[in-house]
Amino acid sequence: MMDQSALCRPWEHTISRRQFVAAGAAATAGTLGLAPFLQTSIAEEVQKQHKQVLFIWLDGGMSQLESWDPKPNSQFGGPFRAIATSVPGIHISELLPRSAEQMHHLAIIRSLCTQDNSHSAGVARIQRGDPKDRGVTYPYFGSAVAKLLGPGKSGLPPYVWIKPGSGGFMYKDAGFLGPKYGALAFGDGQPPENLTLHESLTPSQDDVRNRLREAANQRYSNRRRKSVTEANSYVYDMARSLMKRQDLFDSTQFDARDVQRYGTHEIGRHMLQARLMLEAGVTFVKVNSYGWDTHGDNFNGHASLVPKFDQAFAAIVADLADRGMLDNVLVIAMSEFGRTPRINGHVGRDHWPEAWSLAMAGTGVKKGVVVGETNDKGTFVKDGEFDIGHMFHTWFAALDIDSRETAYNNAGQPLPIAHDDMQAIKDLLS
Amino acid sequence: MWPGDVPIVFRRISILSVFAWLAVGTTAYADDPNPLHERIDDLIQEPLKAVVAGPASDAEFMRRLYLDLIGRIPSRTEASEFLNDASSNKRTLLIDRLMASDDFPDRLANVLDVMLMERMEGHDEWRAYLRAALKANRPWHVMAGEIASPDSENEATRGSAFFISKRLEKYGQNPTDYPGLVRDFGRLFLGVDLQCAQCHDHLFVDDYKQADYQGLFAFFGPTSIRRDLTYPAIAEKLVTDKVAYKSVFIMADEQTGPRLPFREEIEVQTFPKGEEYSQPPDGKTRFPGKLKFSPLSELGKRLPDHPLFRKNIANRLWWVMMGRGLVTPLDQHHRENPASHPDLLNLLGDELSVRDYDMRWFLRELALTRAYQRSSLIPEPLQDADANGNLSTYQIAIEKPLSTEQFLFSVVQAVGDGEAVDMQTELRDSAEDVESTTEEEAIVRNASDALREQLTELKARFSKAIAGPPRQPEIDHQPSVKAALFLLNDDVLLRWLEPDSDNLVARLMIQDEPQMVADELYLTVLSRFPTDEEVTDLADHLSNGSDERAKACGQLVWGLLASTEFCVNH
Repeated sequence: MMDQSALCRPWEHTISRRQFVAAGAAATAGTLGLAPFLQTSIAEEVQKQHKQVLFIWLDGGMSQLESWDPKPNSQFGGPFRAIATSVPGIHISELLPRSAEQMHHLAIIRSLCTQDNSHSAGVARIQRGDPKDRGVTYPYFGSAVAKLLGPGKSGLPPYVWIKPGSGGFMYKDAGFLGPKYGALAFGDGQPPENLTLHESLTPSQDDVRNRLREAANQRYSNRRRKSVTEANSYVYDMARSLMKRQDLFDSTQFDARDVQRYGTHEIGRHMLQARLMLEAGVTFVKVNSYGWDTHGDNFNGHASLVPKFDQAFAAIVADLADRGMLDNVLVIAMSEFGRTPRINGHVGRDHWPEAWSLAMAGTGVKKGVVVGETNDKGTFVKDGEFDIGHMFHTWFAALDIDSRETAYNNAGQPLPIAHDDMQAIKDLLS
Repeated sequence: MWPGDVPIVFRRISILSVFAWLAVGTTAYADDPNPLHERIDDLIQEPLKAVVAGPASDAEFMRRLYLDLIGRIPSRTEASEFLNDASSNKRTLLIDRLMASDDFPDRLANVLDVMLMERMEGHDEWRAYLRAALKANRPWHVMAGEIASPDSENEATRGSAFFISKRLEKYGQNPTDYPGLVRDFGRLFLGVDLQCAQCHDHLFVDDYKQADYQGLFAFFGPTSIRRDLTYPAIAEKLVTDKVAYKSVFIMADEQTGPRLPFREEIEVQTFPKGEEYSQPPDGKTRFPGKLKFSPLSELGKRLPDHPLFRKNIANRLWWVMMGRGLVTPLDQHHRENPASHPDLLNLLGDELSVRDYDMRWFLRELALTRAYQRSSLIPEPLQDADANGNLSTYQIAIEKPLSTEQFLFSVVQAVGDGEAVDMQTELRDSAEDVESTTEEEAIVRNASDALREQLTELKARFSKAIAGPPRQPEIDHQPSVKAALFLLNDDVLLRWLEPDSDNLVARLMIQDEPQMVADELYLTVLSRFPTDEEVTDLADHLSNGSDERAKACGQLVWGLLASTEFCVNH
């Protein structure tokens, strides 16, 4: 274990310019009094804010050996070196140079050992936290957080998914929680159908017709049960809040410097969009990247994929830190499993749930730590394996959700939100 | 407490109390000379005692009845005729007129389709089966028998196989979802959700035992989709052994033959080798053979005698009309979840059974009740009760969500030329068309094919935006952001709000007086006349708006189409 949290590190004492500006603005608004200098005050203010999640899903299985757990000069190590990071003593793959500079914000766990080595079952199993089978379909993490934390004050849907390919309303993620906790997916960053104001209408005409609708609702609900109209108004309000945020999906409006920093490739564009969504107040943002299943030509594959991820990931971690947002945003980057240490006949690596890694940052998470260790060849976890159930408990804890006490209510049936026999990993929590 | 933590104490089924729960008591009500709707009101009224809402106004009743019985709002013409009719028995006459129309069996077919298939992808044969059966007012127990034990050789009813065959379809690499089929059959025909009793006795419902799930599974386990036919049909494998299972808690070996929940096990008839089939299987044609002892046919025969069979259908049809099941959720019939009005549910189930499961008669009786004809407006003394959440179920009428079909037909009705639309007829599948011989008939048929195609596309468009996802019961009012966005921005829908020949917006544009505009608008869209306040507001909108008149009229129509009053059946 390479936990160095006992040491006080210099960057903890620095306050970025942006944080000063943010604190000043807050002080003007009267929420902070006259203490703009104290970082603790900023943190306190952020504490009261809505917790959020950025969930980066590298579909197909990122190789831990070419990312967070390199084993250079070993039997299965592959051609890439390990490099130093901003935290002395912690080394990661040379394919992640920018993330290495952000290591002081990150927590890496290298001792994951999970149950499924097939994609079709594994993706769902991991994203559902693999709880005990009770004959019900559990929600994905995004739907779970949407349910447990709600939409906050943004008026935007709580679970947004930015992905290549097609978009729409993805109700299946929600499992037994019901379709309303499903994901609103932006296929290739584009909004789902009907999210742009119809060409025949101007915004003011849209306001007029909606005022007529609200007036009719007011009259109707005057002497009827309020809940029906409230539910109707709620979805219209949310739909209209979304429609008014064209800036979130009109890439022509994105800051050109940001676009360069995040990368003009797919995951770069999508990660930048994710930051805008988080800034807009969306509770849970998932970003998908595909093509990580490198059974053949693993090293060229990762040499192409990992740097793109690295650029986008390091940029968003730095930006969230800069804005003080890491204090309430939980960041997770992971796959459904790792890849085999053994290199196959096609110079590829296959599926390996036995010993793999993921990276986290942000609220509730220790900064600049590595938890868990694999053996010298990287084939198995040395001791203390953690399953996805442990991670769910850990994430819930980081979000201030008590995963032992909180239960879903599935039509009267209480269901634990994470695997009953597992618990949070204390070494990862701040 | 979670299953892993607690020692499970084996609970012996109390045979006596289960019998009491499932008691069949037809005789208690048989001699009552009063019509069913009066007896219903007596049983509803008794526990309420206190204040109830007054009767619905003619307009409220009319809209509710049109939506419930023929699946759309009344046309402007129909609405004004009914509202201007001064005869005292006009409500009963309207009930009978709507039930006599062709739209009624179509609407009931749609209700049963959504209830039984839960928005899974449909099939023409299935829909044709439902429509033909309901047009003939076939008794429910006969239909249930046809669905449980489909006869692939009977062309008139073979579409009934789709209920089972659809659920036997494989999705991707997943194994056939037999547990889903067992669960759905229990839920939809007996009102019991046995899903959680698959691997052990239900942890929260004492009445649901693993043996009940496994017994029901024994009927369906040997089934598969027939591969030798082009239409949905079911094959049954020869079964000689019982279903073996064990509880994940107790780990003792158990076995059961086919058995309806809470009933006696059915003895499996065995035959000497080579004599099991009345028609032997044929490997060449892939004909699966016809068994002398078919578990499905036993299921079909015994199903109607199950006490929960009648309660389930009574409860579900009650829910269709009243907006809330006497037992709710609809698939949770058990002793710890008694009906809100137990005597009433018994009465309804027994009467249905005595009346040979005549659904048309049953729905008519429900429509005649004071409870159905009550207003959804909360009377003054009950305003506080609503604010405190203390309003009893039948004190006021319950607002019901509109299905996609009801919504689509109603929007089309509202924006059009004011005459009754006949979309359901147009949407009927071409399978029902009579073969035409002359060239002229062929032209007419092609024209109606084109229209049908258009309407089918329209229905798919609305469905995609508004219908619930497959395999979820559509029970509660569940507005969605997706549906709101559809109403806000859908191209087809918004084009309907532009003036065109004599559509609604065109008619509004040629009226000068705000009162006339308001009358036309409210009668057409909301099936009622406007209040003075509404007329004043409308006049303000038309005079203050900087937009041209066509836009202003379109906005008025949209404001009502998107309102709660239009989007629910109140």
